[in-house]
Amino acid sequence: MKMISELILTAFYTVFVQNLVLSSGLGMSEAIRVSTKPGTFGRFAVMISGFSVATSFFCGLIDLVPAETDRSYAVRALIYGAVLAAVYVVVAVLAKFVFRASDNLLGSLGIAALNTLVFAIPHINNSAAYSLAGSVGSGLGAGIAFVVAATLINRGSQLIAENDEIPEAFKGTPAMFFYVAMISLAFAGFTDKNIFG
Amino acid sequence: MSNNLSFKEVFIKGAVIFNPVLVQLVGLCPVVAASTTLKSAVMLSAIACTELIIVCVIASAILKSIPRWARVPLYLVIGLLLICPVLWYIETKTLINLSLGMKIYIPLIAINSVVAVHCEQFAVKNSVRLAFYDAAAVGIGASVIFLLVGTIREILGNSSIGGIALNLPISFKGMLLPFGCLIILGFMAAGLKTFISKRHPEYLEVSAPVAKKKADKAVAEANEPQPVPVEVQITEPVETLKEKIDEPKTDADDIKIKTEAEIDEFLRSLGINLDEKGDGQ
Repeated sequence: MKMISELILTAFYTVFVQNLVLSSGLGMSEAIRVSTKPGTFGRFAVMISGFSVATSFFCGLIDLVPAETDRSYAVRALIYGAVLAAVYVVVAVLAKFVFRASDNLLGSLGIAALNTLVFAIPHINNSAAYSLAGSVGSGLGAGIAFVVAATLINRGSQLIAENDEIPEAFKGTPAMFFYVAMISLAFAGFTDKNIFG
Repeated sequence: MSNNLSFKEVFIKGAVIFNPVLVQLVGLCPVVAASTTLKSAVMLSAIACTELIIVCVIASAILKSIPRWARVPLYLVIGLLLICPVLWYIETKTLINLSLGMKIYIPLIAINSVVAVHCEQFAVKNSVRLAFYDAAAVGIGASVIFLLVGTIREILGNSSIGGIALNLPISFKGMLLPFGCLIILGFMAAGLKTFISKRHPEYLEVSAPVAKKKADKAVAEANEPQPVPVEVQITEPVETLKEKIDEPKTDADDIKIKTEAEIDEFLRSLGINLDEKGDGQ
């Protein structure tokens, strides 16, 4: 029971308080790219959560193994990167040769697995000293946080496209930056970060 | 793409017209999260630029024959093998005191979307020379943005530049958050857009969203049902048809071609006066 509550609490914290896409910029490029295709949000939520959970789980297990010397961040990054690449290759091989996945789906798998958000999750779990349940919750939350961000960006891009009052120079990408900045500021409000001063 | 492109042409397109950060919206993570000071921006841009060039050249030279799904994780592995020794050296052999954020964000450059996008869209489709040109141009374009953003954020957020205090009367800590970086990027993107519209308007017309709209329109037009020509089957011999054409027109034929006024006159000639008939009822 304690493990489940820890998992759920960490997931909620990752989605709403520490939304890593909007408050840390992790996976922001991918979120903006995916936001133009609302039909793929469900697919990405499942894929990113899956890759984050699997990577967090295996990296959490490796972290439990006592090392003779303190692992430096460089060594840790190499281990986590190897784990992520291995998880992706296993899933991609299964998708390609067992489930006969289309090239489109394999492309989505690549975007979902190999982005800064999924790769950062094990580092963050390690820094925050999450337990194994917390690590899994953090991984689940990462996928949901990604889709929350993509949904908000998608709605914003629609509003920007419909707005004729935006000056010509600010139309398109500049307006998108300002819009994402406002959402990011809103999420910063959930944290105790100092904005003025 | 033509192999005769010069470095200048590739540079203008890669670094300015299609700037990775301001136009293509890739590589946002390092600039948004980690370019908070000039020092961190210098470090990130040096590592990102070098890694991008090496990975793109390797991709163009030896990874072309590997399928896409298997190629993508190799970019991560190659990037980590390049970056982690550098990070390890900085951590253990130098006196540079990296923040926790930098220790986490430097390895993330290996999985940066700039690398994947430019390797997949350009390097594996072109010669090693062009892949090098493109990677160098994109790397320089991204690095300039990293440095500008890092400098502005440090001045406004910390009241310092390169660690030297400027003693400004106010500081705005929000600039050190992603929100501050995105606001700066918004103004820089607007400035770049204005520059392109004045100096290179031909490229603004083929920017990604416009090109996509044009392509969508062309596809929609191509998919529109075209009017099918009606095939007239002639069952009668030509002589019979000729006779029919030469036949005198009937009264009914004449009515078809008359105007409204002529129709009234025609009806009167038949002894029917519509107004009178109506009155009679």
